[in-house]
Amino acid sequence: MEIKREDILHLADLSELSLSEAEITTLEKDLQGIINYISQIGELDTSKVEPTYQVFEMENVWRDDVIKEQDATREELLALTKEEKDNQVKVPKVL
Amino acid sequence: MKYIPTIGIECHVQLCTKTKLFSEVDNDARGKEPNSCVSPVCYALPGMLPRLNGEAIRLAILAGRAMNCEINPRSRFDRKHYFYPDSPKGYQITQFYHPIIGEGYVELPSGVKVRIEHAHLEGDAGKLTHFDTYSLVDLNRVDTPLIEIVSMPDIHSAKDAHDYCKELWRLMCFAGVTYGDLYNGNMRFDVNISLAPEGSDKLGTRAEVKNLNSFRSVERAVEYEIKRQSKLLDKGEKVIQETRGWSDATGETTGQRSKEEAKDYRYMPEPDLPPINLSPEFIAEESAKLPLMPKDYREKFGKVIASDILEILLDYPQLTIKLEEVASSSSGALRGASPSLTPSDEPSTSSITLLSNLFVSVLLAEEKSAEYLNDLPSAQDLSELAEMNEKKELSSTATKEVFLRLFDPQMKGRGTRQIAKELGLIQENDLGALEKIVDAVLAKPETAKAQADFKAGQEKVLGFLVGQVMKESHGKANPSAVQEILRKKLK
Repeated sequence: MEIKREDILHLADLSELSLSEAEITTLEKDLQGIINYISQIGELDTSKVEPTYQVFEMENVWRDDVIKEQDATREELLALTKEEKDNQVKVPKVL
Repeated sequence: MKYIPTIGIECHVQLCTKTKLFSEVDNDARGKEPNSCVSPVCYALPGMLPRLNGEAIRLAILAGRAMNCEINPRSRFDRKHYFYPDSPKGYQITQFYHPIIGEGYVELPSGVKVRIEHAHLEGDAGKLTHFDTYSLVDLNRVDTPLIEIVSMPDIHSAKDAHDYCKELWRLMCFAGVTYGDLYNGNMRFDVNISLAPEGSDKLGTRAEVKNLNSFRSVERAVEYEIKRQSKLLDKGEKVIQETRGWSDATGETTGQRSKEEAKDYRYMPEPDLPPINLSPEFIAEESAKLPLMPKDYREKFGKVIASDILEILLDYPQLTIKLEEVASSSSGALRGASPSLTPSDEPSTSSITLLSNLFVSVLLAEEKSAEYLNDLPSAQDLSELAEMNEKKELSSTATKEVFLRLFDPQMKGRGTRQIAKELGLIQENDLGALEKIVDAVLAKPETAKAQADFKAGQEKVLGFLVGQVMKESHGKANPSAVQEILRKKLK
């Protein structure tokens, strides 16, 4: 699979990232290397292998539906945000 | 040209678990401060791990069974990536590849069957409020458990779209999996609509109208889209595949941002949540807990409640469930209280007819009915009311009056008989006592002429005499019993 400039721009767009020209060039090259490396796994015949969803082979890990006191208060959590207003997280306008 | 609309609907239902889908924090944010029902998991703090709420699985099984769906023993979660401030994680945890609920169908009251493609569990997103230059984020809704119900494109009219959404609402409410409060977004609908020329076997390009929160807006949005798309196609133009928003105020849909393609969501298995593997025993055990559904009530009450009244009642699950409570509890109580009047094993049928009429024509006509619905009188109080009516201790007017007082916060809890007594509405049925009052009235000189007139064949004056007796009894006598006694005495 060949990584093109448009792919980088599209991915940046999906993640709301603004990239400089230099970064685009670097990413194009790096991502191509990563994709090539990962693609090697495609050469293996996995038609008879069950997909692995979970490496610890655990199943049905559920908890009871009981409210527990939270470790972090609203004030502590909001304090982590860049800006807050009326107990809400304030962000640039998005539509 | 004539076009046939084809409609598929996705419905999000918020489940009424106590805690969220992935953390042990309060899931009921009604009337609570913004960001007060939020855990580090909702906030997506580094190192946080989601822990699955078992109750959501149980409710999903009930929801699935309510729609005649297969329950898939094996299901698991995936991450759906998107970047938006309503989701601090940067992805939604959903079930893209292996949903918990498989194929099924919903039958509308009209008999139309809409097939269910599947339904899956996922976490809700936060709520954004937009202002001039900024938006505010409230994360109370993050990770509220949702099931997303995906229908097959089996709907072909605005009315069926409306009826399907309403029936889904009824099913989910009766199954007890949601509070069903549409105004507060407990159920939200996305509607896909496409048109194809009559006789064509190909589907047209579809537009999706997102985030409708009432049955009426679903119906109006579909009507609008059918008109809009017909006009485009008539002009030889193309319908664009896009997401559109609906405005209740203008009654129009408008184009929104172009939809991301599935591959843009970069789905991947959720590594933090082990797969679900349900045993047939567990599925059967949980399925058996499904309460009575609308079709069961239609079967059960169809003979004692007129179908138009029953369909109205089915829009108020709490009333229907209360009636069922009366029906299943009252037969014993009624028999015990008055063996002579209720000899059959099903004395409750007339109670159910009476109470269903009171619910629909008296209670729902009340201005405060919405308030009253949240706190219904006990089944015992209601069956006692029906019993007193049946024994003619309460006239039909008095029955209505006492019925409404049962909902009055001031009167509540005092018991039907006590309330009726306090209001002086209990009719005198004791024939001995009534006879004495009748005798007293007949002894009065001012009734002598009326008595003579009646004996001479003037039926009309009986009313006057009954009135006199009623007056003497302070309105408590049972008029039909009085009439009978008078007739006997004046023969």
